[in-house]
Amino acid sequence: MSRRAPLALVLGAGAVLAPMPWLLSDFLLSLALSCLMYAGLAASWAMFSGATNYLSLATAAFFGLGAYVTAWGVAALPWPAVVAGGGLVAAAFAALVGAAILRVRGAYFAVLTFGLGELVRHAVTYGEKRYAGTVGRVLATAPSPATVYLTVLLIAVAAVGVAVLVRGSRFGRALAGIGADEERAETLGVDTRRVKVAGFALSAFFAGALGAGVAVRWTYIDPPAVFNPFIGFQTVLIAMVGGAGTVGGPVASAVVFSLFTEFLRLRFPYAYLIVLGVLLIALVLYLPGGIASLWERPGRRRAEAPSAEAAGG
Amino acid sequence: MSLWLDLAAGGLITGGIYAVVAIGLNLQYGLMRIMNISHGEFLMVGAYLAYFAYTGLGLNPLLALPGIAGTLFLLGLLVYRLCFRRIVRTAPGVEAIEARSLLVGFGLLFIVQNAAFVAWGADLRGYEFLAVPVDLAGARFGANRLVVFAFALAASLLLLVVLRFTLLGKAVRAVMQSPTGAHLVGIDTAVLHPVVFSVGLALAGVAGALLSMVYEISPSMGEPYTVTALIVITLGGLGSALGSLLGGLLLGLVETFGMHFTSPSLKMLLSYGVFVAVLLLRPRGLFAR
Amino acid sequence: MGEVLLAAQAVTVRFGGLVAVDGVDLELAEGELVGIIGPNGAGKTTLFHALSGVLAPTAGRLVVQGRDLSGRPAHVFAAHGIARTFQTPRVFRAMSVDDNVRFGLEFAGRRRQATHGALGSSRAILDFLGLGELAEVAAGGLTPARQRLLEIGMALGTRPRVLLLDEVAAGLSEAEVEATASLIRRVRDELGLSVVWIEHAVRALMRCVERVAVLHQGRKIADGLAAEVARDRAVVEAYLGREVPAAPGPA
Repeated sequence: MSRRAPLALVLGAGAVLAPMPWLLSDFLLSLALSCLMYAGLAASWAMFSGATNYLSLATAAFFGLGAYVTAWGVAALPWPAVVAGGGLVAAAFAALVGAAILRVRGAYFAVLTFGLGELVRHAVTYGEKRYAGTVGRVLATAPSPATVYLTVLLIAVAAVGVAVLVRGSRFGRALAGIGADEERAETLGVDTRRVKVAGFALSAFFAGALGAGVAVRWTYIDPPAVFNPFIGFQTVLIAMVGGAGTVGGPVASAVVFSLFTEFLRLRFPYAYLIVLGVLLIALVLYLPGGIASLWERPGRRRAEAPSAEAAGG
Repeated sequence: MSLWLDLAAGGLITGGIYAVVAIGLNLQYGLMRIMNISHGEFLMVGAYLAYFAYTGLGLNPLLALPGIAGTLFLLGLLVYRLCFRRIVRTAPGVEAIEARSLLVGFGLLFIVQNAAFVAWGADLRGYEFLAVPVDLAGARFGANRLVVFAFALAASLLLLVVLRFTLLGKAVRAVMQSPTGAHLVGIDTAVLHPVVFSVGLALAGVAGALLSMVYEISPSMGEPYTVTALIVITLGGLGSALGSLLGGLLLGLVETFGMHFTSPSLKMLLSYGVFVAVLLLRPRGLFAR
Repeated sequence: MGEVLLAAQAVTVRFGGLVAVDGVDLELAEGELVGIIGPNGAGKTTLFHALSGVLAPTAGRLVVQGRDLSGRPAHVFAAHGIARTFQTPRVFRAMSVDDNVRFGLEFAGRRRQATHGALGSSRAILDFLGLGELAEVAAGGLTPARQRLLEIGMALGTRPRVLLLDEVAAGLSEAEVEATASLIRRVRDELGLSVVWIEHAVRALMRCVERVAVLHQGRKIADGLAAEVARDRAVVEAYLGREVPAAPGPA
């Protein structure tokens, strides 16, 4: 599969979107920032979870860790280091935790990643109180909105670009093999442990970097604000709607959903989450064809005779 | 000595609640491979029902328990019919059922939790019930905590008895062991599934109602219990209600002692630590033969 | 006898209270074509799981080309030249036939030398199996018989020295079973692989292999030339469940 065309598209889109800070109003710029953030989150989520069927609900944990790296470091370190640091801390955490929890089957893994958000939030709260004597942090120094925008744009482009590259690579095929039939893939030579941890960590890197980049939008952060399960929820919803087996799907859906969510949230502060929840359920129940690339993979214990259907992509 | 007793009691009480929640999830997942990640939310609903029963109707929460269980049972039937039945029917395989039910559960979590936020507000609420100290074996306990433990234990044992000795229980165990075989002998999963699912939810609601007697409640109180229930299931072994009971009590003890010697904020870390340890050392559960 | 490629030494596999494989010794030398038979529940597939690293044995050792790989994960076994098929074909349904074979080539087969030209590329493997025309078809769309062949193709993609075949002839017509048996012979004769073949179609297997091991209730009760094993009293009893005087061979 040629990767040049999609990559060119991604870079082109990046170039087109770059001048936005000087063209858009503050409100629209903020909206664009959300879209980019979710595009990056959804693309990197799909890169791992979409391919391997290990549904990670830990995006909030990684995002929040990245945000806290910014909170801790933005006054002292140069901006690029802070953002990269956010990504690296999240990736390291993912690698560490992943080594343990990627041993379990999908459903257990998902619930455990869900709990990671809580776990990290408690740990950070505890650490902050005990060692820094504080509950939240003020972000006094922050780069200009244009810088923030361009940073997030860069990370999102990188996330999507990497997702495209992975998809066409040997690593990506290993991930797909794990998603199709993990045990089989292992007997064919895939070091499933390592591949899973690497994929998980890579995906976490982008979530962390995005968290670090976006954190400066808030002037004051505390654990509940950045370790917000909604981020994980929205990421999963976006990826599922767009088609977690592709790269373009989540990106397109990220734009649509960010706008949709903003609109809803302004009107119905709590109820919009209910609407989104209903949407996710309806999607999973009635549009499994729309997310066929995720689910119509052979299970390990398929006893039924193979049908003559042509398999979807 | 009194400190140890105090901690042990606290651990058992917490563990009793864990056991009830875990048995419910165990039934759902063990039977139908439905990983109901919104399980904790129904615990929260049970807690609020008890709260309103007490503050609104003046009803003793213990007396309200059957009503709460019943309400959540009916709610479970509705939820199953709307959200999960289709998955069990149309999914191409077990892994698809797991994956889809997970996502549906995730959606449910947001719906139920935020519906609670909208309806009841985010503030903590609580009520006083039987908060009188009782002297037992040289230590003091709140009467409400003792009652909670007793009822949690009773509920768990009741489930165990039902599973072991009644026809329904045997049907459940049969389907868990061999779905095809059970089908062949005439067990109708179309009836069994919603019933078991709803029993699971009812158990969560009961646990929530019991909790409301001791702790303050809020719409987000239920979330941690889902994860904990999963850890308990891992400890006790999937499909084993007795394992969930013992595992729940054990986890409660480990947490309480652990929190005392480290810090309450590290509760989740302790639970995860226990989980990882069991996973690495005894992946089939502590009580697997 | 050539180099011993794969050796199971007193391998035991226990699941809780159930002993599926009980102290089995088995050796496979270079160029051998060995069959494994036994009644249902004898532990044959479980033994394969142990031989390929899918399951770690509870006791005993697995030695591959002189290296003790006991307890290592399956991909290590694959890297050392042990390839296997599964009872129910586990092909990657959404991928094309060609991509399925390439998978093995890309992973375990990557650093392994192709011992024969036919194992050099996915094209060559598909041609060897007679699937060349179907290279671009989605694996999920193949007939069961062809999926079985693809299963073998995927295993060959790892450029193995040992091929473990688990009931590759199950559910096939008699003609197809014969074709399978002659294919297996070709795998050994032409490609130079050593093969272990589990099969319920005992007659076809017995005609094809030189050596047969018989498992019963987890234990190996016979291991020798096909003709001798067929007359072995213990083997006959295992299959028929009672003593039969001078029976001509297992059913």
